[in-house]
Amino acid sequence: MIADMLTVILILAGLVFFAAGTAGLLRFPDVYSRLHALTKADNVGLGLVVLGLMLQASGPADILKLLLIWVLVLAAGTTAAHLVAQRTWTHGEFESDR
Amino acid sequence: MNALLLAFDLVLLAGLLGVAWSCLASTDLFRAVVLFITFGLLLALAWVRLQAPDIALAEAAIGAGITGALLLVTLERLRRIMAIHASGDVHAEPPDPTGPRAQQQALHDPPPARGTLAPALLAAAAVAALLIGALWQQPPALGLQPVVDAHMERSGVDHPVTAVLLNFRAYDTFLELAIVLVALLGAWSLSRHDELPARPTPGPVLPGALRLLVPVATVTGVYILWAGTHAPGGAFQAGAILGAAGILLALGRPQRLPMAPGAPLRLGITAGVAVFLAIGLYGLFAGPGLLGYPAAAAYPLIILIEIAATLSIALTLVALFIAGRPAEEDA
Repeated sequence: MIADMLTVILILAGLVFFAAGTAGLLRFPDVYSRLHALTKADNVGLGLVVLGLMLQASGPADILKLLLIWVLVLAAGTTAAHLVAQRTWTHGEFESDR
Repeated sequence: MNALLLAFDLVLLAGLLGVAWSCLASTDLFRAVVLFITFGLLLALAWVRLQAPDIALAEAAIGAGITGALLLVTLERLRRIMAIHASGDVHAEPPDPTGPRAQQQALHDPPPARGTLAPALLAAAAVAALLIGALWQQPPALGLQPVVDAHMERSGVDHPVTAVLLNFRAYDTFLELAIVLVALLGAWSLSRHDELPARPTPGPVLPGALRLLVPVATVTGVYILWAGTHAPGGAFQAGAILGAAGILLALGRPQRLPMAPGAPLRLGITAGVAVFLAIGLYGLFAGPGLLGYPAAAAYPLIILIEIAATLSIALTLVALFIAGRPAEEDA
């Protein structure tokens, strides 16, 4: 019961980070601040969702799998964010021709 | 709970239609490719909702991931070809997408001609009416689930999807592998050996991440291959994951990527089709017919085919991405 409530609270908190990250991605003025918003959603938002789901896992194997998913997303997301930022730093912003 | 799930499905459906429309309607090809990748990920979610995790895995790995990478590299090659065409210099570099000349060089579809909307809508309505009519006349069917379940113990594996793919409908899977092989032969026949249109990335972050991610991807690929006998997974998904690791490696160090030696590469790329065909012929002469297996030996034979197919699919996807045939033949 307590675990269920904690799950709900953690996942809702995670979703708040995702919503804030998405709003930042859509509204922020330049690449760096958009990346900043996006990586918060990836890192903290997903971390909270994973933590909430861990409380519902059926065994240690599931918990470890969820943890692994989070670590992999962290590694991949950080690398991608770094590459986008580095490219922007050396080449300037990508102008969309909309 | 059901209302929530229904709401989720409706949002997913609306998202799929919206993204598909934006992808088709976009005149900026880069944008269209990004939307196509998004569409693939949403479609994978839809397959999960339809309780088809095997197809969801394949869609996410191949439909969204690998196809997206192939489309992006094609776009970059197109830019390069256009730059060479425009300047007449074989070594012309495409203008930087952020640079001042990017506007002229951006790849655009021509906007649709005027007066095409009404016929297009009419055609779409007609096709939709035909589809709905055809669905209406479908007799209620139970599907093939009972038939598959009844024959599971003869299949050699515990996962019904793998049983269908590698045993009951082995023809289809064999031909799919052959099509992948033919696609690569086509790409090799048409392309020269030219370097990957990727710019080197300075700094330690990408090599460091690759050192972390490529071993994990390799283990995951092998796990997915092994899991295919009793759970969602199998050769195509495993091959796509291993192929993605190879593409990452190729992108990580475009300048000094050693080209695989020709003969082993060819052997690896044809291994899937060759092993499949050899085992299929064995089935023809041993009794059960072409591409059939004796029930006692089904498990090891299927595993053998899956391993060979995974290797071939992974190598083929990387080779398609790099797109050049082994360098020594161009000399």
